[in-house]
Amino acid sequence: MPAMSVSEKFKKVFLDDKYSVGQERVALRNVGLIDPENIYDYIYNARGYQALAEVLTDMKPEDVVEAVKKSGLRGRGGAGFPTGMKWEFTAKEKSLEKYVVCNADEGDPGAFMDRSAIEGDPHSILEGMLIGGYAVGAQKGIVYIRAEYPLAVERLEKAFCAARKEGFLGENILGSDFSFDVEIRLGAGAFVCGEETALINSIEGKRGMPRPRPPFPASNGVFGKPTLVNNVETWANIGAIFLDGADSFAALGTEKSKGTKVFALAGKINNTGLFEVPMGTTLKEIVYEIGGGIPNGKKLKSVQTGGPSGGCLTEKFLETKIDYESLAAAGSIMGSGGMIVIDEDSCMVNIAKYFLEFTKSESCGKCVPCREGTTRIYETLTRITEGQGEEGDIEKLELLGEIIKKSSLCGLGQSAPNPLLSSIKNFRKEYEEHIYLKRCRAKVCEKLVDYVINDNCVGCGACRRVCPATAIDGTVKAKHYIYSAKCIKCARCFKTCKFNAVVKETGLPE
Amino acid sequence: MSTPKEVLSQKKLKAKEELSAAGFFKPLKIYVGSATCENAAGAKEIMKIFETQAGKKDCRDFYLSKKGCVGRCNLEPTVEVYEEGKKTVLYVKVNEKEAEKIIDKHIKVGK
Ligand SMILES: Cc1cc2nc3c(=O)[nH]c(=O)nc-3n(C[C@H](O)[C@H](O)[C@H](O)COP(=O)(O)O)c2cc1C
Repeated sequence: MPAMSVSEKFKKVFLDDKYSVGQERVALRNVGLIDPENIYDYIYNARGYQALAEVLTDMKPEDVVEAVKKSGLRGRGGAGFPTGMKWEFTAKEKSLEKYVVCNADEGDPGAFMDRSAIEGDPHSILEGMLIGGYAVGAQKGIVYIRAEYPLAVERLEKAFCAARKEGFLGENILGSDFSFDVEIRLGAGAFVCGEETALINSIEGKRGMPRPRPPFPASNGVFGKPTLVNNVETWANIGAIFLDGADSFAALGTEKSKGTKVFALAGKINNTGLFEVPMGTTLKEIVYEIGGGIPNGKKLKSVQTGGPSGGCLTEKFLETKIDYESLAAAGSIMGSGGMIVIDEDSCMVNIAKYFLEFTKSESCGKCVPCREGTTRIYETLTRITEGQGEEGDIEKLELLGEIIKKSSLCGLGQSAPNPLLSSIKNFRKEYEEHIYLKRCRAKVCEKLVDYVINDNCVGCGACRRVCPATAIDGTVKAKHYIYSAKCIKCARCFKTCKFNAVVKETGLPE
Repeated sequence: MSTPKEVLSQKKLKAKEELSAAGFFKPLKIYVGSATCENAAGAKEIMKIFETQAGKKDCRDFYLSKKGCVGRCNLEPTVEVYEEGKKTVLYVKVNEKEAEKIIDKHIKVGK
């Protein structure tokens, strides 16, 4: 039987609708096709450990590094650094002790690509790490994973035990000179611990705070030893490079971004879920074909990529190709693969506030720009959404954002202002309406709308009784009304009414 | 001395035996999606329903297995039925009632 390419098998099973047609499964080649808790299923049905066996039989470590370089694979953890180069740096370090680390911290809110990859196919991650260990000369692997992923941890542990029993881990793997073992380190779920230097501190038992780079982990990582840190999805791609060849991997994608990328699609979209597409797929194809469009006939307002480090793109970027460069040029980032679709019912100022609330509380506090800056941005945005915005706020926010980006110690602070800056850039009018007109066109900010009672009112009096400002009047069974001069915009009437009779109005033109 | 490739081919033979002993090559296979997301949507209960069918008198012999998440969050839990010589059927949003229907359609003898 001729071997199917990694992606064909998925299509054979799932080629049923638009959702799967545009997909190419490389990193997730076995996810959903095999039993993740059965090593024999992996070995027999998924060409499991064949890449490792070929590497150990036919290739010298430098050939392995060369193949990864040739594939064009870039890190899937966010920054997109060329993986082969990182492997080369680590391989060139002279040290008897080296480490390879799998970064499974996955801290972006709403992201679950890495969790699914581990839960669906843990052996592919391990096989990638084994090949990496052989290539750079490491004897020890560490998977750093958050404790909030208990099932993923359990499946990894099962996979490691089975691999040890079958001789894929331990001394003289498959009868070769190569010896390697892995262990799991649990993280407590701090976003900053996904940053590689903070992660290394955390592995060493220290407080999870970043340190300046250089020195990079490649020369000075876990316990001061040369360390190769890669993301889960990066590791998952390694096997595919050696199964189907670096050339066939590089045939997918765009000139500078090879292969595929896994995304977690969420928000106002019909098909929420996880999918893997070749680099170069457009946002439009993702939203309207794979994602199946926006529910309830609503209009698309924005697509947010890259999570708390990324940006909000508008409709005019729908033709943007998904690759590292194009997304950056459009003002966002690839990030680790979170993608949130936003429709006209969402307020962009509020969304920026949400992300800044996240980065503010996840900032480790080591450097001032990030610690103080994110807090000031959050306070200002809160003020604006509550109707206390002042002239000059937008300019101050822009300046502050730029300063934080330039002066923070690690990637957390360097990227934290992105959701703010990109939403100002693309939705400045909405900020201005909040500040100058005290109006929220999406009707999300409670203080920035008027409350009006319409003809649905049955005169039950529920709103009148909850109003703390006695701003509502009316007799039983007759339509009530709100004195806008007395209204303090607490929205209690809106939340209490069971007849959809209290509505929000902004008076803004469409 | 044998090469890693040769060692792996030996292991592949063993894997086949192990799978065969576990019933993997039965003509009817049922896969229940069981990642964190599927379990949250109720996949564990669905798994139990299928487990209780195994070995029953009026039921065909089948191989039951977990699998990872294919990515259809809004359609979970998912169940796939592989029958030799037939097109694979993917059932979505499987609840107890739906699971009983799958059992009636594919597993019960004489159907
Ligand atoms: C605040 C912050 C959080 C990060 N979180 C993660 C994460 O959860 N997972 C991950 O793989 N990389 C994360 N990174 C990127 C890592 O620092 C590092 O670049 C990556 O693990 C390298 O692997 P790659 O080259 O395979 O992408 C984060 C970076 C920053 C600045």
